Amino acid sequence: MTTTLWFAALSVLLLGPVAPRLASAPWVERAPRAGVVLWQALGVAGALAAIGFGLSVTVLPFHDGLVGGISSLAQQAVAGRPLQGLGIVGALGLTLAFDVCAVLVVGLGLTIVRTAVDRSRHRSLLDLVGGAVARAPGVSVLDDPRLAAYCLPGIRPRIVVSTGTVQRLADPQFDAVVAHERGHARGRHGVVMLPFTSMDPLLSWLPYARHARTNVALLLEMAADDFAVRTSGPMHLVAALVEMSAAGSVPSCAFALGSTGVALRIHRLLRPERTSTTLAVALVASGAALVALPFVSLA
Amino acid sequence: MVVRLGDLERRVMDVLWSGFGVEWTGRDIASHLPGHAYTTVLTVLTRLEKKGLVHHERTGSQHHFAATATRESYIAGLMHDALDVGSDRDAALVRFAETVTPTEAAVLRRALDAAAVRADLPAP
Repeated sequence: MTTTLWFAALSVLLLGPVAPRLASAPWVERAPRAGVVLWQALGVAGALAAIGFGLSVTVLPFHDGLVGGISSLAQQAVAGRPLQGLGIVGALGLTLAFDVCAVLVVGLGLTIVRTAVDRSRHRSLLDLVGGAVARAPGVSVLDDPRLAAYCLPGIRPRIVVSTGTVQRLADPQFDAVVAHERGHARGRHGVVMLPFTSMDPLLSWLPYARHARTNVALLLEMAADDFAVRTSGPMHLVAALVEMSAAGSVPSCAFALGSTGVALRIHRLLRPERTSTTLAVALVASGAALVALPFVSLA
Repeated sequence: MVVRLGDLERRVMDVLWSGFGVEWTGRDIASHLPGHAYTTVLTVLTRLEKKGLVHHERTGSQHHFAATATRESYIAGLMHDALDVGSDRDAALVRFAETVTPTEAAVLRRALDAAAVRADLPAP
């Protein structure tokens, strides 16, 4: 019973009120990559607790704890009577544990497939119409006067800029933009985002799903900013950010979160002490502790 | 071989786009691509047709090929993805920066100028 309550409390807490706290914590931006690890750990711990809750409810009728209960359940499943003695509560618990797994796995699978199709289509067209620029070898150029720069993730990620970007940004700013995109490519940020994107349609009622998605996206931008700063310094990157974000010709489409993101990134880049290794180590350690948390009740 | 085929696809499309609206025969296209066999060009055209980039019509025994859409329209489509005009927040690519409103842009510029002064640097 204690185990069941522990799992229930843990999953509600981690996937509920903890998420908005972490999203608004001002210190996470000083270790963006470790911050992403912490978000991942929070999700894994929350999901494990939810599955653990379902399983421990399932085996309540056996009265011999979670591990003992699961082994009893497995034995009678092998004997061909998987649901015997579960009752309505046990059956609901089993359904919950199964559904959590199914939603996560199916959601991730669908997202991976859909994203791969979109990316592959974009990539094959890009390889047909993309040009080159001498200043940045390997970068694809789209002939368009508007400002745009992005990274198309994949096994061989593509970095793409518009001719408008090449012409209108000063050389050091352009280099900073390309370095930022190389940061995304190097860090495989496309892959990191996939699980968070996959929660979108089915789990967006969960505070964790909503906050993790926007916050991890922002932290990955900051991680790519840090990568660019190493070669370009902060000022050119800030100037490029201002130019690129201001040049959008579609102000009506500007959504509040997006614009806040640019402002936060600029504010962060202008701070003298932008990153902290100590904090990064502490955050990763907390992440490891979080993942261990659901198992505490089994000890 | 795959890379070379991709490269050839690009060159075939360049030929078709150089005269958009023109109906090309396979031999016309091949004559613009010295060093590539006529049959290879036909293979590439078939691949491009499967991808929906090329369509062909048959008059008598002659096959005429044309690009489905202009190069510009494909670029416009890619830019549409890049600028997130639909704002559907798809997961396909990672953008450099989101669009901000003109007011926000003015505030950002002022912050940048102030920071440049503080850092004793010329405003970039």
